[in-house]
Formats: sequence, structure tokens, C-alpha cells
Amino acid sequence: MKYGFYPGCSYKSEAGYKESVEAVCRAIGVELRELPDWNCCGATSMISMDAENAHLLTARIFALASKYGFDAVVTTCNACYTALRKTRKILKADAGLLAVINHQLVAEGLGITLLPKVRHLLEVFYQDIDAAAWTGKSPAGIGDIAVAAYYGCQLTRPWGDVDHPERPQMLDEFIKRLGYTVVDHSARTLCCGASHFFPYQDQCRPLVDKIIAEVRRKGAQVVTTLCPLCQLNLDAGQETRKGPPMPVPYFTQLAGLALGLSPVALGLDKLLNPIDTLLRKIR
Amino acid sequence: MLNNNIEKPSAGSPQRELQWQQRLYETPGGREILGCIQCGTCSASCPLTDQMDHAPRELFALVRDGAMEEVLRSNTPWFCVSCYQCMVRCPREIPVTDIMYALKRMAAEAGIFPKGHKMPGLYKIFNQDVARYGKITGSILMGRYGLRHPVDMASKMGTGLGLLKTRRFDFTPQKMVDPRKIAALLKRKRTHIK
Ligand code: SF4
Ligand code: SF4
Repeated sequence: MKYGFYPGCSYKSEAGYKESVEAVCRAIGVELRELPDWNCCGATSMISMDAENAHLLTARIFALASKYGFDAVVTTCNACYTALRKTRKILKADAGLLAVINHQLVAEGLGITLLPKVRHLLEVFYQDIDAAAWTGKSPAGIGDIAVAAYYGCQLTRPWGDVDHPERPQMLDEFIKRLGYTVVDHSARTLCCGASHFFPYQDQCRPLVDKIIAEVRRKGAQVVTTLCPLCQLNLDAGQETRKGPPMPVPYFTQLAGLALGLSPVALGLDKLLNPIDTLLRKIR
Repeated sequence: MLNNNIEKPSAGSPQRELQWQQRLYETPGGREILGCIQCGTCSASCPLTDQMDHAPRELFALVRDGAMEEVLRSNTPWFCVSCYQCMVRCPREIPVTDIMYALKRMAAEAGIFPKGHKMPGLYKIFNQDVARYGKITGSILMGRYGLRHPVDMASKMGTGLGLLKTRRFDFTPQKMVDPRKIAALLKRKRTHIK
């Protein structure tokens, strides 16, 4: 299966996101075609200062999808996902604005002929790929690893249309499908502090503390994420926490392990809180 | 806190306040504030209310009172992390987060910023990097921020070292093939939109 892929700015230098996405997609036959010369989506920053520029940034990404013939754009970052979906919704409802924006894009030879669907890679893995592709391949010991699924804010919100906004299940179900033990917990969509974590570490650390404490209380050995910002905040945010650090692998890294891929090929050595002890459970 | 017995510390001229209020009501979803039932669900859901001058519910009460300068000066919208928890829970379906964005833009346009708040500066360098390279590089952004806040930076050395050790620290910015395309696009809008 072929998809237009919007990696976003945080993808490349992350804790093995790129490595694991590529390895898993290869293993299950998903082809992610990177949109050539894509630009930043503006995240929550551009829209905070300049709405029109924010719309132009995301609109250019849609125009690239039109140019290369993709009716859907797949992302791996919750912030990109929401930035794109929000502009899509606005442009869908406002033909006048769409025309104005197309007029801006024409100088570069671009234009939006079709507003592409915006999808998270999790949706592709969970909805498009036959469940059988994931099951039955897991090495012994995978079931001994207790995983908490952490969705963050921007996958299920603002509209609560992708999954339940407070008690989403998609990632839980996917992790279960892979053969892991999934723990129930109430921190699935709590906020990690997002982009405020960097300038306001002390103020945001309690948010991470709350998430880690909750999943640990429920028996999780790892907490898995699907957004580079969530991963960094949960991973780096445990720096001053008492008690053993909790590894924060991407859902794609867990998928790779369940498919029998090697930890190094999945970039698992790039996690700040090491996962080595748990890897020894896998045989 | 709202207290009508004391004079508001930062009241603008009544006319200006009214203009700002109208402008906010004219932004998409802005007028919905008039339907707010002051239930406080947004404030109870917000992860950073303890840092905010006014929790979201209270901010909306101030908007309706016309105390717009106080609203625009408050750090509330700048502490909004866009988690959308308020928005998905609001019983009146008020787009709280979008209103926070609109307030940030109005404050930025009016040049009013909460004293010492670090987000306006961070957004500024983020947006500058987007306009310059078309893309963002986390470590470069951190570095540029660090130049502005050296003391703050010292406390982040641990994370920085961790990223270095795990080979996740980029020393050169990632760029578009031709970043001028973005610079041109972002500039062009001023002549066409609005
Ligand atoms: S949740 Fe909605 S109705 Fe309730 S106080 Fe907040 S904005 Fe008003
Ligand atoms: S979106 Fe902003 S205002 Fe709403 S709950 Fe989250 S941080 Fe608070």
C-alpha cells in the first residue's frame, strides 16, 4: 500500500522514530512516499502569532499532495496531525479562503485540487493493515511486557472524532494485537506540557510526573507514545524523578520488536531511559 | 481574581476596550463566548491553570465585562498549551483553544505581552526559523532560545547531553531544497489576504 507521507520537522532526529517507522513499514509492505520538499506545518507556534501564515504553511502541504497525486497525507506527529486537520476543516468550509490561498500558491506552480485526508500512521497500521499481519509473529516473551498506551492531547482532540477524546482505544487495541500485555490507566490523554515543557520545565514536570506515576501504579513497565513531542517530554521529563526510570518507546518500536526486528534497527538505543532490561525478556 | 470593588489595574480607554472586544467577537468562534454559562469545566480541565493569571472561565467573564486590556495583558493565553481538553469538554461547544490563539494574535498585534513570559519570544524565533529554512530543527531552536535565556539553559544541560549521547543533536539546521519559496509565500499573503 502506498501513502503520501508528511514526516514533519521532529521526525528525523527523534529517538528512533524514523528508524522504526521505516523498518516496520518495510516489514509489512507499507510504502510511505515522502512529499518532496515539504515545509513545517507551523505547529502551535505560527497560529499563535499569524493565522494567515499558519494556513498558508499547511495549505502548501496539501498542495504538494495534490501535485503528487495523493488523496491522503500520513503523519507521525500529533501536532502536525492537528495543525493539518484544523486547516483542512477551515478550507473545506470556506471556498473563498481556499481560492485566495490557491492564488498565493500559484507562484510556485502549486494549487490544491483535492483536500487530502489527514491520517496518523497509527490509523494506517490499525485500520488498513490486516490484523493477521501483526499477530502470530511475536517472539516469546513479548506477552510478559506490560505496556501503557499514551495518546497525548492532539490525536483525539479537539473534535473527538478519531477516537474517544478521554478514553481512546485504538493504540491499546493495536498494542494488544502485537501480543503485549496492555494495562488500563487514566492518563491516556493527559497533557505532557507540549511545547511549554522546554521553557517551563519546572511548571510542566508535574504533568509528566502525574502520567508516569499513574501508569506505574497500574503496573506498566513501559509507556508508549505516538508523537515526538510527547516522547521527548515523557523521556527527558523523568530526569529528576525518584524511582526507576520508565522507558518511553514509540508504538512503531514496539511493533518492530513484535515483528522480530532487532532493537538496534529500531533505534531503541536512542531512548534516554534505557529499555535494555526489558529487552532481555524477549527471546 | 475578579473583584469589582477595586479599580482594575490595567483598564484601557473604554472605547479601545470595546473595539478589542468587537474584534474578538468577529474572529471565528469568538462570539460563542456570549453563550458561555460560566460552568468552569474549562478551568477544571486545564493543565496549567495554576500558572495562569486568570483561568479560562474567568478570562471569558473579563472579556464579557469588556476588560480587554486586562485580558490581553494576562499570561493565560500564553500558558495555553493547546491540549484542547477544555474545547472537547465545554458543554456549550465553545472553541476555547481557538479563542486563546486569537487573543495571542491580538496581543501580539497590539504589542502587549505579559511581562517576562517566555512563549512570545519562543514563538518568534520558531516562526523566524520557519520563514528562513522552511523547517524547524529542535536543537537549533533550543540553542537560539538558550542565547536569550542563559540561566534557564543551564538547567537543561542534562537533557542536552542526553540528546548528544543518543546522537539526536543536530548541529546544522534542516532546510527545504529552496527555502526562499516559503519566505516568498509567507510574505505574499500581506498583499492578498485581508
Ligand atoms: S467550559 Fe465552556 S461554558 Fe463552561 S465556563 Fe468554560 S467556556 Fe464557559
Ligand atoms: S487548550 Fe489551553 S486553555 Fe484549554 S485546557 Fe488546554 S491549556 Fe487550558
